[in-house]
Amino acid sequence: MIKKHFNPIQQKSGEIIEFLMSSPDMPKDDNLLFKIRLSIEEAVENIVNYAYNDGVGWMEVGTDLENTGLILSVTLKDAGIHFKPLAKPDPDLSLPVEQREIGGLGIYLCKKLMDDVIYHYEDGCNILTMKKKIAQE
Amino acid sequence: MDVTINKEESKTIVVLNGRLDTTNASKFQQDIEPLMEGDNPDIEIDCTNMEYTSSQGLRLFLMLQKSVTSRAGNLILTNMKPQVKEVFDITGFSNIINIL
Repeated sequence: MIKKHFNPIQQKSGEIIEFLMSSPDMPKDDNLLFKIRLSIEEAVENIVNYAYNDGVGWMEVGTDLENTGLILSVTLKDAGIHFKPLAKPDPDLSLPVEQREIGGLGIYLCKKLMDDVIYHYEDGCNILTMKKKIAQE
Repeated sequence: MDVTINKEESKTIVVLNGRLDTTNASKFQQDIEPLMEGDNPDIEIDCTNMEYTSSQGLRLFLMLQKSVTSRAGNLILTNMKPQVKEVFDITGFSNIINIL
């Protein structure tokens, strides 16, 4: 398990992503790592860019293993705007190119690449937890 | 990430090397901005050595595709790695961008 509090978070996306990816909880498999890294990048970027109106604020991130190492859990917490990331409808993938919106794909990618994406709002904080099965039972 | 752009007579060839992520998406945007105008809209992007793309990168491919479509040109992405292709598949970008 690892956990770290980052403040400030402006311009710190890279550092936060590398902290999480360097966790001993991470699997070794390249294909899994690719999906986990992309999900982490999208979630971290959302918070760094949109959580705080003036861009000033903190983020606490961590990883843990559940079910005796079967499941990786990544948690991101911030005290920014109550942003309900999962309330947004998924993008309409059937639209022609002229009508596809530029943007809005980040959380959708997290939902597709991870097994579970769970959001809570608690004590004035957004808590986003992403889970991925990383080993066989 | 390195971007090489070669303008040939009939089309423009772009070679991407490395990871397209949050740290370099704005640089890539600057690199491809000249391709979003002019009357030579056929573009081929060689993705052989493209290791990764985040939604920031996808956003730029969509902008480029929209620009090329509006000028009746063709955009082709070639030799994409399976992991990267999966990101294009999940987001439906494989349906709107020509990937060979």
